[in-house]
Formats: sequence, C-alpha cells, structure tokens
Amino acid sequence: MRLYFTFSDMHGIISILEMFIITSSEGKQGRKMSIIEEPFTTTTEPPYTRLSEKTKIQVIKALQEVSGKAYVLHTLYDLALYEYDASIERARPDIVVLPASTQEVAAIVKIATHYHIPVVPRGAGTGLSGGAIPIYGGIVVTFTRMNHILAIDYENLRATVEPGVVNIHLNQALNPHGYAYVPDPSSQRACTIGGNVGENAGGPHTLVYGVTTNHVLGLEIVTSEGEILEIGGEAYDTPGFDLTGLLVGSEGTLCIVTKIIVRIVPLAEDVKTMIAVFDTIEDASNTVSEIIASGIIPTAIEMMDQLILQAVEADSHAGYPLDAAAVLLMETEGMREAVNAQIEEIVAICKKNQARVVRIAADENERQLLWAGRKNAFGAVGRISPEFYVQDGVVPRTQLPYVLRCISEICRRYQLKVGNVFHAGDGNLHPLILFDAQVPGELERVRLAGHEILEICAAVGGTITGEHGVGLEKQAEMALIFTEVDLRIMKKVQTAWNPDQLFNPGKLFPLPGRCADVKQL
Amino acid sequence: MAEITPFVPLFRQQFPQIHSIDDPIQLLDYTVDDRLPDILMQPQTIEEAARIVKFFHAQKLSVLPRGNGTHMSIGDLPAHINALLETTAFNHVLEHEAPDLTCRTEAGITLAQLQAQLKNKGQRLALDPPNAETATIGGILATNDSGPKRLRYGSARDQVIGLSVIQANGEISHSGGRVVKNVAGYDLNKLYIGSFGTLGIIVEANFKLYPLAPAERTLLFTFESIEDAMQATIGLTSSTLAPSAIELLTLQGPKDASPFFAFSLPETGYTLAVNFENSTIAMTRQINEALKIAQTHHAFLREDLEGQEQERFWQMISLQIQSALSCKINLPVTRIAGLIDQVETICKHQHLIANIVAHAGNGIAYVELGPYNAMSRIITAITTLRNFAQANKGNLVLERCSTQLKQHLSVWGEPRADFDMMKRLKHQFDPDGVFVRGRYLGGL
Ligand SMILES: Cc1cc2nc3c(=O)[nH]c(=O)nc-3n(C[C@H](O)[C@H](O)[C@H](O)COP(=O)(O)OP(=O)(O)OC[C@H]3O[C@@H](n4cnc5c(N)ncnc54)[C@H](O)[C@@H]3O)c2cc1C
Repeated sequence: MRLYFTFSDMHGIISILEMFIITSSEGKQGRKMSIIEEPFTTTTEPPYTRLSEKTKIQVIKALQEVSGKAYVLHTLYDLALYEYDASIERARPDIVVLPASTQEVAAIVKIATHYHIPVVPRGAGTGLSGGAIPIYGGIVVTFTRMNHILAIDYENLRATVEPGVVNIHLNQALNPHGYAYVPDPSSQRACTIGGNVGENAGGPHTLVYGVTTNHVLGLEIVTSEGEILEIGGEAYDTPGFDLTGLLVGSEGTLCIVTKIIVRIVPLAEDVKTMIAVFDTIEDASNTVSEIIASGIIPTAIEMMDQLILQAVEADSHAGYPLDAAAVLLMETEGMREAVNAQIEEIVAICKKNQARVVRIAADENERQLLWAGRKNAFGAVGRISPEFYVQDGVVPRTQLPYVLRCISEICRRYQLKVGNVFHAGDGNLHPLILFDAQVPGELERVRLAGHEILEICAAVGGTITGEHGVGLEKQAEMALIFTEVDLRIMKKVQTAWNPDQLFNPGKLFPLPGRCADVKQL
Repeated sequence: MAEITPFVPLFRQQFPQIHSIDDPIQLLDYTVDDRLPDILMQPQTIEEAARIVKFFHAQKLSVLPRGNGTHMSIGDLPAHINALLETTAFNHVLEHEAPDLTCRTEAGITLAQLQAQLKNKGQRLALDPPNAETATIGGILATNDSGPKRLRYGSARDQVIGLSVIQANGEISHSGGRVVKNVAGYDLNKLYIGSFGTLGIIVEANFKLYPLAPAERTLLFTFESIEDAMQATIGLTSSTLAPSAIELLTLQGPKDASPFFAFSLPETGYTLAVNFENSTIAMTRQINEALKIAQTHHAFLREDLEGQEQERFWQMISLQIQSALSCKINLPVTRIAGLIDQVETICKHQHLIANIVAHAGNGIAYVELGPYNAMSRIITAITTLRNFAQANKGNLVLERCSTQLKQHLSVWGEPRADFDMMKRLKHQFDPDGVFVRGRYLGGL
C-alpha cells in the first residue's frame, strides 16, 4: 500500500476504488476515452512520498525563516483543520504556512522545490471538489494573512486584491460607493477571491454577467520555479496568449495566485426579487426553459425543490412554502421601467406554467430574507441529514425537465434521498444526495448515483462541473466529456507550467496509474 | 516561373482530390508581408484539413491557416510559409439551439452569414468586429477581433463556450463544451482565442447567444475638449445606465464619410457616439439621463439616430481605421484623454495626420497615422506612443502597416516577463514548428 492511502476513514479508499471501477469500464464508445487501449499520458504519478521526520524538521526551519514561527503550523492539532474542505475527501498536510507577502510565497515555493515537496494553495477551504486537499501531504499555503484590498479605482472600474480577501468583504467595501463585484458564490461569506479564481466560481448572479473568468483581467502569480510574474493587467487585450484566461479555473495546478485585478460594476438602479411556487417540478423547469427561450435574461433564476424548501424554512423562516414541489427564486435588475416590464413577462410565463403563487418581495428586508434562505440552503440541509454529497452538472436549459426526472429516478433506484437547489437559469444542477456514512454501503451508492447523474448530463450535451471544479472528485468523469486527445492537450499545459507536479499534484486528470495500487489494498 | 517546390508533387499524389494552387502568379494574391507561400490548399471538410496538417507535420513543413484574409497582415514578418490552409469551405452552422441561446458552427463561415442565420430565430452573436461580410469566425477568434459593443457584451472570450481545433500533429481536439457554464479542466478556449494560429487551427466554435435588441438608438455628442469627452464617458460607465457602446471619434483626416449622411461630423472637436439597446419602455429615460450626463460635461447634442441612419453610421465607423497604417492602443480609460493629447502633439511636431476611433468606455483606441510613407516620422511617432502606453499600464499593437515598417518596429512590442511561460506553451503544443513562426509576439 502506498503511503498516501493513509486515509483514516473509508471515504478516501472507496473514492479510489470507485475511480478504478469507472476508469476501467470500457463500454464507452465514440469520443469517450478508453483507458485500456492507451493511457492518455505516459507521465507516471509524481513520486511523492511522505516527508521523513528529519527532512520535515529542516523544512519547517526553512519556512520559519521566511514567514516567522507563528505562521508555520505543524502539530497534529494545528493541522487537523486543513485536512478538509467542503467535499467528502480528506488528507493531512505535513506543514501549513501562512505567508504575508508574494515574496514569502515565492520563497516557500523555492524551499518546496529544493526538498521536492508538493505545495497546495488553499483559500477558505469551502471547495466542493477536494481542490485544496493535500492528497500527497506536503505544504499547504493558505492566504488568511494576504487578505487586503490593495486598490479600488472607481473611474476605471477596477479593484486589485490579495487572494485571501473574502468575497463578501470586497462587496462590503464597494457597495456603499454604489459599485459591486459580480461573482457571488453562495459561500461568499467565507470563500476567498483566490479560491474563486482557483475554481472559476459562479453564483446565482452570474447568469447575465458571467462567472469569475469574465471579471478577472490580470493576476500576479508565483510559478513552480518560484518566479513572480505579472499576467494581463488593468487594460484589455494584453499582447500574447491570454494567460489570465488559462489560469482562472486551473485549480491551483498551474501556479499560485498572489494578486488579482478584477472588474467592478456600478450597482443597478432597481432590483426586484420574486418567488414562483409550483405544484410540480416539471412546471417549474418548463418555466425556466421558457423564460430563457423568450430571450428575457433575468439576473438570477434559482430553483429549490420540496426537500430543500423544508430544510430552508426550518433553518431561516424566509417564508418559503412547505408544501410546494418547487420554487423559483428570480431576480431582475436594471432601469426601473425595464425591471417592471421584465417582471410582468416573467409572471405571465409562470402563470402559463401553472404557478400556484407568484410573489414579489415587498421590500429590501424580504428580499434579503429570500436570498439568505437560498444561500444557506446547503447548511440548512445539514439539519436533516448527517452528510450530503453535491453534484455540479450542467445541461442545456432545454433539457432541464428531462434531466431532473432522470435524477430523481436514479436516486430512487439507489434508495437515496435527493434535494435540488441550483442555478436553473444556467442549467447548472446541484442535486444534494443525502446519506449517512455510518450505514454500510450507503456512501458507495451515493458515489455510483453521482456518477450516473453526470453520465446523463454528459449524454445530453452538458458537462460534469459548472463551477465547483474537478479536483479529486470528478477526475474519472473527465473522460465522460473529453477524448483522450483533449486530455492529452490539457496535460501539455500542465507539463509546460508545472512539470514536476509541484503544485497540487494528483488533481484534475484521470489517474490510470492508480488502478494497480488500489488492487493491492 | 519559379521552381516547383519538391513537396508539392508528393502532396498532389497523396491528396489528389484536394483543390490547391501553386502557381506563383495566382499566389501573389495570397502573400503575407510579401512572402509567397509555396502552395494554397482549399480542403472541403474539416477532416480533410486535419489530414493535410498531419501530412505537413510528418514532412516537417509549415502551415498557416487563413480565412478570407482580412487580417493576414497583422503580425511580425513570418518565417517561410510552405502552405496556406484556407478554411472558408467549412461554412455550415451545425446547430442553432435557439431555446438554449447557443449555437455550434464551422469556423470558415463569415460573421455576416452566421448572423443572418441566427437572425431567423431572433438571435445574434454579440460580436461586432469590422468586415463582418468577409471576416470568418475562425479568423475573428484567432485574432481576438472585437467591436464597439464589447463595452456591454465583452469580447470573443466571453462568447465562446467551446472550440474544435486541429492540433499541430493533425489531431482534432475539443475544448469547453456546448453549455453556458463549464469549468471541467483547463479553459483552453481562452488560450486559442487571440493566438493567431500559433497553437492550432480553429475549425468549429460553440457560442452563447443573445436575443436581438428590441430597440436601439445612438446619440452623437460633440465636445470641445477631450477631457470633457472622457469625463462624460466615465460619467456614463459609472452610471446606472447600460450603454452598449461609447465610441470616441476624432476624424481629422478626410471627411469622406459625410456624403453618406444627412448630417456632417464636426470639423473640430471630439465626437462621442453612445449606443443603447434596450426594451422600448426603458429607452426614453435612458436617453434623457444620458443627455443629462453629457450636458454636465459641456456636450452639444448633434444627432439622435435610429433605424437605417443609425445602421449606416455604425457601418461608417467600422470602415474607419482601415488604411495602410494603424495601431491599437489599450489603456485604462482615464488615460485615454492623455493619449489623445499625445497623438495631437506628435502630429503637430512630426507633421502627421491622425484619425482616432476609440472604444472609449473600454480604453481601447485605434489610431490611424498618415502619410504612411513618412517612415522616419512615423517610427518616431509610434515609438513615442508605445512608450506612453507602456508607462500607463497599457500597450500598443501595430495592427496595419507596411512590410517595410515591420523591419524597423515590432508589431507587438517587447514581450514581458511572462513570455517564457508562453514559449513553453508553444513548445508543448507545436514542438516541431508546424504553425508558421515569426508573426506572433516574440516571434512565436
Ligand atoms: C455552502 C456552499 C455554497 C457554495 N456555493 C457556490 C456557488 O454558488 N458557486 C460556486 O462557484 N461555488 C460554490 N461553492 C464552492 C466554493 O465555495 C467555491 O469553489 C469557492 O470558489 C472556493 O473558495 P475557497 O476560498 O474556499 O477555496 P478553496 O476551497 O480553499 O480552494 C479552491 C481551489 O482553489 C485553489 N486555490 C485557492 N487559493 C489559490 C491561490 N491563491 N492560487 C492558486 N490556487 C488557489 C485551491 O488549491 C483549490 O484547488 C460553495 C461551497 C459551499 C460550501
């Protein structure tokens, strides 16, 4: 058994077993990859073994020279927090460093290179795909101290921030001046802009205005050689390849981001939020398809089904109906007249699709309450189930009714409870499968159901992740949507920038090499 | 007649069905910076094109993709071009999923052809670069070309959701997908957009779409000072209004545009053209509020355009800056006024004339300089402007110029420190140099 399989719980082991099951099922045709014929890469796994105690002490000393004793964590107690993110994966780092500057980050990377130890960048650890989990141990670099808003330039509509800035803190700085930073993941009270760049995060309000990549113009990064580089900038169209575009969403596998230049926007004149209540999921999803097809693009269309509504109401008393099959939470913004006109059109479409009630939030208070309910939905589900597993597939919006039916059928078949709370306007599904890891075999059924759901998403022309990233969780599923050639090209990018997999090793790509290891277990 | 290049017979033998031209006289229409390609190939299908690239890869010969040739002159001097590969036969719209606001198209189609098909179902691609009638989707994406409405909709990187690309070894790869939101793996779409054919040949593109605007109007303002014009621009971009375009025009050259209109552009001063696309119901107040903002910055309202007149106006704008010598300067918006001052000062000192059309709200200025044959004065002017741009967090790209000027000035400017990372990418994607080198930043 390889050292990195020292997961103390069953999750990790089953996860890897399951990867084996998936990657080796060669019953796929067409564009799908057949691992049996030829692995898409000849690169073997990075030969990372756990640090010896002796080296670890040397490394700790070197890191303490850089960041100071207080900011280099290495006791089991201190490290425990960094074993997790919000996914169901876990693994313990050897050392955690909290740098205060880009120069410190560069020095840390050089130390890691010298001792050949992996480096995993980490924001707030709210990631849902295991992106910040150090599966080979090593150094986790966390940006808690690099949390400054460096500049806000209202005239040029730019803000420059350090990666550890919490998403909502940027908006709290901007809103009083009449401006906003658009991408607003539901986790925005905790997640960092660095983590948002890592995953190319979306959110309820990215339907009209786009996700993180559409709002990032420039970066400062540290390369795997420990070099500090400026990428892109405040102006548009920097000559040469669009490296900013490539790096956003690269999940910490190509570079460490130490500064981010984002676009900000003026707040809209008017915002209206409404809920539409439906007796069937079918009606709600038809409504979404029809709104999009009509060419009205509201700023947000979120769907919550009955299970979620009940959890949310118990948690936050936002006034959602308990007996509805589904609710759509929608928002439009812009000029007052345009907002009113849009609302009218939306109400008409809802009514036509048998909405039982359509309610427009009377005031800012009610609006905030509705959103708080939605944004706390995952947390609220924690009240009714010990654990849950979130999927993140995307489908063409015309396919929503069909795919939602499939999801409920799949979960019924695996005897699992599922709730849906998601960015319906983008076709970005988040089925939440409830489970209890203490029940033997349940977690395995959860993973199999999750995989089948993503298979359906891929089959209807969709994708396996819309905003949470591939990380550790969807590595095998990459082969559902990309061919061997496609994956090989992506691997070339990794080879170019992170040849020794110093940064965040073992993520994002299917890992054919692992099958053998698993068999030995 | 020049000697027949040795690979040509072999190529003909292996690909008898593929239409190609190797007659140097005919090829004169296809020179790139006076470089004559050995052969022009016109494959009929994407698969044919891929097989051709595979052949050239095996033969260690170089290929340069070409659409309709509207942008072939952008770039530094190319190394030897064995073959030009024309993509214009791949011109089919493969899917238009109107209810999902997405489409999938072959990349040899012209923008105008694509828009015409999308229009049938009340939709459009939100990209408005010049030359829509001739420029192909592949060419527009490869050069990252854009137009005035990028203020509201963004540029190619914001519209593309998936691409198919012929790689240097002739394999066809896909990036992204067909849905509007997707973070699976690296976002290679971004890498191909604006890569000028150095990494691969874009052969298919998937886009997200927008509905046609229900109503559209354009206001023309004039200002005596550039500071006022730019303050008005900033007033608009930081307001709650949502203009689709804010174009700044300072046309000091020929006024040949005027005969097309019932009105004339002013002889002096600065014009701002502000475009709104909106629901009819919100239009009136948008216009009124825009007028108020402009007035606080001492604007005169010249025109309020709608319908055909408006269309002709934007057509005229897109035809500007197409002369022999122009550059594109990207800056923070607040530096545009300073740039215009610089241009005027240089023109005075160097006895040059300049026309400027700027996407003022984006900080992107297209500056046309003349007379284009005043080499040494032009070189001085461009060097000064490039220094200004670089000192102000921006850059200057020489988009149109003579081959001769390229011997004195780099089209892209000096690469920055991140260039090494670009080189590594190029090396991974195209280790054997199948895609013609020399033209792109740093000679890639
Ligand atoms: C309740 C809940 C709701 C959520 N809602 C949404 C949502 O609506 N939309 C959405 O998109 N996501 C959502 N998420 C997922 C998650 O919050 C996002 O992915 C977020 O962007 C992660 O940020 P983080 O700071 O926690 O990053 P982490 O989880 O710490 O890291 C994420 C990834 O980024 C990398 N990374 C972090 N910092 C850097 C850096 N400086 N340089 C390079 N790489 C770095 C890490 O290595 C890792 O791969 C939700 C999560 C939860 C728990």
